[in-house]
Amino acid sequence: MLLEQIINGITLGSIYAIIALGFTLVFGVLGIINMAHGEIFMVGAFVGVTTTGVLGWPLWLAFIAAIVVTSILGYLLERFTLRPLRGKKGVSHLAPLISTIGVSILLENLSHHIFGAGNKPFNTSFSEISINIGSITVYLVQIVIFVISILLMIGLTVWLSKTKAGKALRATADNLETASILGVDTKKIIILTVVVASAIGGIAGILVGMAFNSVSPQMGLSMGLKGLAIIILGGMGNVKGAMVGGLILGLSETMLVAYGDSGYRDAIAFIMIIVILLLRPQGIFGSKVSQERR
Amino acid sequence: MLGEILNTYYLQIGSFILINIMLAISVYVPLSSGQLSLGSAGFMGVGAYTSALLTIHFDLPIFVGVIAGALAASILGVIVGIPSLRLSGVYLAIATLGLGEVIRVIFVNWDSLTKGSVGLTGIPQLGREILEFSRGLGFEPAMIGIRNNQFVFLSIFLVLLILVIAILWFVIRQQNSRVGRALQSINMDDRAAESMGINITHYKVVAFTQGAFFAGLAGALFAHVIGYISPADFSYHRAVEVLIFTVFGGSEVIIGSVFGAFFLTLMPEVLRFVSEFRYIIYGILLVVLMAVRPQGILDANLLKKFKFKRSKGGVR
Repeated sequence: MLLEQIINGITLGSIYAIIALGFTLVFGVLGIINMAHGEIFMVGAFVGVTTTGVLGWPLWLAFIAAIVVTSILGYLLERFTLRPLRGKKGVSHLAPLISTIGVSILLENLSHHIFGAGNKPFNTSFSEISINIGSITVYLVQIVIFVISILLMIGLTVWLSKTKAGKALRATADNLETASILGVDTKKIIILTVVVASAIGGIAGILVGMAFNSVSPQMGLSMGLKGLAIIILGGMGNVKGAMVGGLILGLSETMLVAYGDSGYRDAIAFIMIIVILLLRPQGIFGSKVSQERR
Repeated sequence: MLGEILNTYYLQIGSFILINIMLAISVYVPLSSGQLSLGSAGFMGVGAYTSALLTIHFDLPIFVGVIAGALAASILGVIVGIPSLRLSGVYLAIATLGLGEVIRVIFVNWDSLTKGSVGLTGIPQLGREILEFSRGLGFEPAMIGIRNNQFVFLSIFLVLLILVIAILWFVIRQQNSRVGRALQSINMDDRAAESMGINITHYKVVAFTQGAFFAGLAGALFAHVIGYISPADFSYHRAVEVLIFTVFGGSEVIIGSVFGAFFLTLMPEVLRFVSEFRYIIYGILLVVLMAVRPQGILDANLLKKFKFKRSKGGVR
């Protein structure tokens, strides 16, 4: 029983970690909380529902479709809501926050109009297959989710630390002006960051659809909030923090559902925010600099 | 004569506009010190539920319930504000967003007290209580030639109007005081403000708590005007809607919040098709505003021109 719950928690946690990665990448490079990330993720989930459910495409094709759609959304987000605000004089630091809130509410209500308010089922051909090891039941879906998220995290870490684009991204995150003096095309890197973050959100959308077997326009908000809680927990702009924070949130939520009141599950993320802000505002892995007042 | 002029429908829209102005001010005050609060819907809910439950279960007079609701919201504001306001504005936005969601989750789950997602019904209505009170004094609506229900709506409208004017008076007075100047300097540059000896966390918490108080007040009044509340009334959408009132109208001058709440509450009533796509329009509006006119429709320059044209100072 306990072991099963731990497996559930890790599955959930790895999804949360992926959502948080999207937030943390954008925050790391641009210093902006992208409030629309949750809704981009939700769009990814709906692309998954439409392609696998309505059009009957295989799952891998659904992943590609979701990545393409959310990448385009990411580009549009950067082009029309973030770029006009950059480098403009007299724009308060709250402007991008408000602007992305606008995108989030737009996307949520558009999908509300297109897909309706209710939950949509997300069926995969192997959603019922499970493996019994002793007394424990593990669903194949859980393994797939876990493997995909681990691969994604490893891929992202390698990409950030080994490739030229990844290094340029980290340089831009460290200091935009210095990076641009040293010959990094920061404009391109910023676009790349938002697009990659959105594509990761799209993948997370399909994974969530698979895990919960339901998709709704409102899921963007609650998942987005959890992602935000995780990056506060792990440290803003910190990739490792996002992964660990995701696992902590996933495990604690699963434990609450299993041994407590499942109705208050969504409250954990918030309690975590308040506790971490009181005790260690820079987050578990955050450096002192990131808690600086902006 | 008076009875023919008063249209209860217009009075009710007027009351909603006034409540929304209160909410817009609740966002404006923290925003004027550079703090973005997304918890206005949550604070509103706390005010509404506190006041409704107190008046339903303990038969307290409405004004006691309303004050208790507003105070409950501001206490919550202090509790959330202190940890998040020590840091940058981004943290406050996230913490208040989380707060709003948690409050809604509690309202939905605490069945025994809040009746869950069904909501509370039979909340004592402000207008009826005023009617009974004035009858106790020997006053009948018929004496000034209006029907009972007209009197009910008229009295609600007037009470709200007085409250809004009082709040506006308070905020404008505050802006010209020591506190207001401190908030303004924090908004412009918090480090410079700190080096001038301003305790920035203190003033941020003051501004944020005032916002929570006004939101709680508006929520409590909302409950007693409508007579029915449910968790859906206090969702994230409501918080964004209130934010748009302020951001659209103009977040640098107080009259902007009033204008934003007035215009955007009236709009869906006048143009029905707007109502259906309201949030889609709001979303586009936010993006366009931030790119083109981040300070909102009204700002100090525009008001100055206005004043110049009319040669007499009216709005400030």
